[in-house]
Amino acid sequence: MAMAAFRWKLWSCGLSRLTASRTPAARVIARPMASTGIPTDEEQSTGLERKTLQAIKKGMDPYSIFKPKEYAGTKEDPHVVPATTDKRLVGCICEEDNTAIVWFWLHSGNPQRCPSCGSHYKLEHHELPH
Amino acid sequence: MAHQAHAYHMVDPSPWPLTGATAALLMTSGLAIWFHFHSLLLLYLGLTLLLLTMIQWWRDIIREGTFQGHHTPPVQKGLRYGMILFITSEVFFFLGFFWAFYHSSLAPTPELGGCWPPTGINPLDPFKVPLLNTAVLLASGVTVTWAHHSLMEGNRKEAIQALTLTIILGVYFTSLQAMEYYEAPFTIADGVYGATFYVATGFHGLHVIIGSTFLAVCLMRQIQYHFTSEHHFGFEAAAWYWHFVDVVWLFLYVSIYWWGS
Repeated sequence: MAMAAFRWKLWSCGLSRLTASRTPAARVIARPMASTGIPTDEEQSTGLERKTLQAIKKGMDPYSIFKPKEYAGTKEDPHVVPATTDKRLVGCICEEDNTAIVWFWLHSGNPQRCPSCGSHYKLEHHELPH
Repeated sequence: MAHQAHAYHMVDPSPWPLTGATAALLMTSGLAIWFHFHSLLLLYLGLTLLLLTMIQWWRDIIREGTFQGHHTPPVQKGLRYGMILFITSEVFFFLGFFWAFYHSSLAPTPELGGCWPPTGINPLDPFKVPLLNTAVLLASGVTVTWAHHSLMEGNRKEAIQALTLTIILGVYFTSLQAMEYYEAPFTIADGVYGATFYVATGFHGLHVIIGSTFLAVCLMRQIQYHFTSEHHFGFEAAAWYWHFVDVVWLFLYVSIYWWGS
């Protein structure tokens, strides 16, 4: 167990937090600082860093660090667009490698469709993280 | 409190880029004034301003990252890219000096006697102090890696010990090299041999001093509990830089000291 944790740390140092999945992280650093002297992020992180790390632990991404979830874009499974206000700009790349991006405002309320390819988009209200 | 919906750090206005640019102006013009009018004042002013700029700018970065928590994972990723790009630029800097060395040594001109080392040059024995220097730097690469693992495992005592040992080895290298410079039978003015030798090894020595200083700052920060077992990028950057310095020495040793003798 300790060996596995050690090998995991060797690979991960600093980078794992960038690739952590959105599900609650599997790792548990259960080493009290008092015993070996170096604090953990859990004990010592502060400010925005702490907020992002605590959110990642809970499987949340309030600061949009990770790629958005993928949706089919159909009526039943529209692209969900998080927003802190009543509208947000959407840029639809209808087909892969398209160079002309289709821009439009997505308003809260009923889902809208891309004027070019017809994919469905729905605004989802989020509170501004603070 | 930051009311932002992103994880990046929009830095507050800072005077240090301006003071740094001013220092660069004072140092360059100061150098020219020294060459032509023998006055060192402008140069000293520039160096002082440079030192003050570096201390305060990096102090502010430590405040922003460690004390205020602005260094979120994406911010840290950017810092990693930055350090890698910087070290890459330094690689190209040294590549130039290696180019110069090989240009002159692969096809020595008749003025040199058509041979390398040139006629009259007694090169340093690569199996004496230069070999010791190689061992010292390789050992320091081991100790800095030891320090890193200690840090990741949460072992404060060993992290401090290993980092201290690394710095001691760095200082040992610098003093050995300084003694070599003092005792060497040739100077920088001794033709293209002296020029390539001292410019290449001289810039390397400067980078050893810079790297040792960076590590020393990390030691002070580690003693003051700045680093966590997961987040210690300042240390990683210093370790990357130190490994780079070590690799440059290996190339110098093989090319200039060994093949070049």
